Amino acid sequence: MKILVGIKRVVDYNVRVRVLNDGSGVDTDGVKMSVNPFDEIALEEALRIKEAGNAEEVIVVSAGGDECQQQLRTGLAMGADRAIQIQTSESLQPLSVARALLKIIEREQPGLVILGKQAIDGDNSQTGQMLAALWDRPQATFASKMVLNGDTATITREVDAGLETIEVDLPAVVTVDLRMNEPRFVKLPDIMKAKRKPLDVISLGDLGVSVDGNLKIHHFAPPPQRQKGIMVEDTAQLVQELKNRGLI
Amino acid sequence: MNPKMDVAAIWKQKCPGLMVSTEAPILESHGQDWTRFTTPAPAAVVFPDSSEQVCALVQVAAGAGLALVPSGGRTGLSGGAVAAHGETVVSFDRMRKVLDFNSIDRSVTVEAGVVTATVQALARQNGLYYPVSFASEGSSQIGGNIATNAGGIRVLKYGLTRDRVAGLKVVTGRGELLDLNRGLVKNASGYDLRHLFIASEGTLGLIVEATLNLASPPLPSKVLLLGLESMDSLMKVFDSLRASLELSAFEFFTDRALHHVCRANALPAPFDTTCPLYVITEFDCPDEQAEETVMERFEYCSEQGWLLDGVISQNERQIRELWRYREGISESISHFPPYKNDLSVRVSAVPEFLQRLDGLMQKICPDFEVVWYGHIGDGNLHMNILKPVDLSLDDFESRSHEISERTYALTEQIGGSISAEHGIGMLKQPWLGRTRSGAEIKFMQQIKAVFDPAGIFNPGKLLP
Repeated sequence: MKILVGIKRVVDYNVRVRVLNDGSGVDTDGVKMSVNPFDEIALEEALRIKEAGNAEEVIVVSAGGDECQQQLRTGLAMGADRAIQIQTSESLQPLSVARALLKIIEREQPGLVILGKQAIDGDNSQTGQMLAALWDRPQATFASKMVLNGDTATITREVDAGLETIEVDLPAVVTVDLRMNEPRFVKLPDIMKAKRKPLDVISLGDLGVSVDGNLKIHHFAPPPQRQKGIMVEDTAQLVQELKNRGLI
Repeated sequence: MNPKMDVAAIWKQKCPGLMVSTEAPILESHGQDWTRFTTPAPAAVVFPDSSEQVCALVQVAAGAGLALVPSGGRTGLSGGAVAAHGETVVSFDRMRKVLDFNSIDRSVTVEAGVVTATVQALARQNGLYYPVSFASEGSSQIGGNIATNAGGIRVLKYGLTRDRVAGLKVVTGRGELLDLNRGLVKNASGYDLRHLFIASEGTLGLIVEATLNLASPPLPSKVLLLGLESMDSLMKVFDSLRASLELSAFEFFTDRALHHVCRANALPAPFDTTCPLYVITEFDCPDEQAEETVMERFEYCSEQGWLLDGVISQNERQIRELWRYREGISESISHFPPYKNDLSVRVSAVPEFLQRLDGLMQKICPDFEVVWYGHIGDGNLHMNILKPVDLSLDDFESRSHEISERTYALTEQIGGSISAEHGIGMLKQPWLGRTRSGAEIKFMQQIKAVFDPAGIFNPGKLLP
C-alpha cells in the first residue's frame, strides 16, 4: 500500500505573526517557515504505519512555489520515500488544493491519504473533506488514533462531545489532530540521504487544474488590542466602574 | 530570652513598617538556597519593599551588629544565600517593580527582586532580547544574578550578566544609597564601582536596583543535538562548527547525564545510537546557506569519526524539546543530592583538563557516579558527584571535600577557576586560595572593610 501525505509550508507556529501595514497579507520576510504542525503529525503517522510493515511507500506532496521544496525535503528527511511538488505561484484555496491532490491520487493510487486536520495559517479545515467528496471515498476527520485492519481502518475522532470511534473502508482520507503522535526529530544523516531521494515537480497547469477564483481575501487586520485592566479598591468602586461603563 | 525573638524584636522596634517573619516555614525556606549541606537557622526574615527601607534596615543592622544575608530566588548553588547562624535574611521578594523601559537606551530598570524570566519576557514584548538564560531563570532574581555574575547558556555569544549591567543602585554597610554608572554607555570618570558589586556575593552591600542593557532579538536559529565518539572530539567539533557558523550556545553532557534527564522527565532518547558524549549547540540560521553549511560541517565531522549521530530542530517546538535534554539535567539529579563543581579553564585548555580530571576521578572516587555537563564553549565545566543512596550526608560531604581538594589543585595547575559562575559562597570558600593569590585576597578583604566596616554583609561567605 502507498500512503499519500499532504504537507503545507506555513509560518512557524511560535512566530508572532505580523500583519503588513497595508493589510495586503502577513509579513513572511525573514520569518521562520515550517511544515504545518498537523501535517507533520500526519507524516509521522504514515511513517509509523510503514515501519510497522503495513505500507510500502510514503509519498509527501505539497502545492506551492519552489520554496516549499524545503518542507518536502524535511518530509523526506523524516523518512518519506519520495516527494511531489505541485508547482504554482498562485495562492490556492482549499478547493483547488483538493482538486490537485485528486489528480495526484489518480496517478499514484494510494491506499490511504493522510492530511493535517487544518493548516495553522488559514485555519480552513476544508481540504481533506473536499478531497474525500471529490474522490468519492470515506473520510475520517480530526483523528487522534488510527488502527489498520486490512481493508478497513478504525479511527478515533476528537469530536465536541468527546471521542468517536468509526470504521472506514480503505482507501480513505484521514485528517489528523494534535494528540495522534509526537513527531520525531530529524536525523542529520537522514537529511543527507534525503537529498538523493526523488522529488518530482509537476505544474498545476499540467495536472489540468485551474485556480479557483471564487474566493478572494480583500484585507488582513490584526485582532483589536486588549484594553488594559484597572484594579479597584473595593466593591463600591467596582460597582461604580461597571455603572460608568453602562454594564449594569 | 530567646535570641531569635530578640533579633525580631529589634527589627519590629527600630524599623516600623518593615515586614518581619519568624515563622518556622519561612525561616527554613528563606534560610537556604539550592544547596542542601547546611541546616537553615536564621533569626528572622525581613521583606523590605523599597530602597529607603533597605537603607534604614542596614543602618539598624550596622548599629546593632546584626548579620544580614541577602536572599533572591534562592537558586544559588554555593551556599551564598544560606543563613545558618542566626543571621537576618533580607529577602527581595517584595521588590519586584519594573521601574522603567527605555527603547532608545534599549534598557530596563528593575528592582532587585524582579525574576530573570520577567526581564526576558519584557524584552521580548518590546522587540528586544535579554540574553542571560539558565535553568533556574523562572525563579532566580536579578539582584542574585548580579551578585553572582550569572552566566548560563548564551555566554558564548552574549557574555555574562556583567556585560548587561548598565547601572546599579546599592546600599553600602553605612546605609548609604550609591547610584553607580546611571545607565551610561561611556563613563571614564574614575573607578567603576559598579563592577565591584557584580559577583560580590552580597559581601559589599545590598543591590536594590539595576539598569540592564537589552540586545537585538536573535536571528532565527536551529539546534543540533550531536552524539560524540569521545572527549577528544569535543573541541574539534566545536572548532569546526564555530569556523563557519554563528554559535550562540555550545554545551556538552555525558551519557549518564542523558540517562538521568530522560528518566526524570520521561523523555525518549534523542536518537537510537548510544554515545558516550553529547553536544547541544544553537546557531543562527537565517537562510538556507547556513543550513547547507551545517550539513557540510556534520558530514566532515562524521567522516573524521568525531560524530556518531545527530538530530536537527525543524521548528521552534523542537528547539525547546531538544534544549530540555540539557536544561533538565541539574534538576534531574538534585535529589541525590549532588556535590557540584563549577570549574573554568581557558577554552584551549579544556581537552587537557577534561582528560586529567576524568583520570583523577577514576582514581580517587571510582565508587561515585560523576555526571558531567557544561558550557564547554566558555571553558566552563559542571562536574556533579552524586551521593550514593547508602552513604550518609556527613560522610558524603567529607569525601566530597577530599575530592574538591584534589580537583581544585588540578584546576590551579591549569590556571583555571574553582568557580566559573556559581560563586564561592560557603561551599567553595575554603579553597578560594586555589584560584586567587594571597595578595588578591588581602585586597578583597580591604575593599570589603571599606564598604562594610561593621562586617554585617553575608559573613563567612566568599572571603576567609
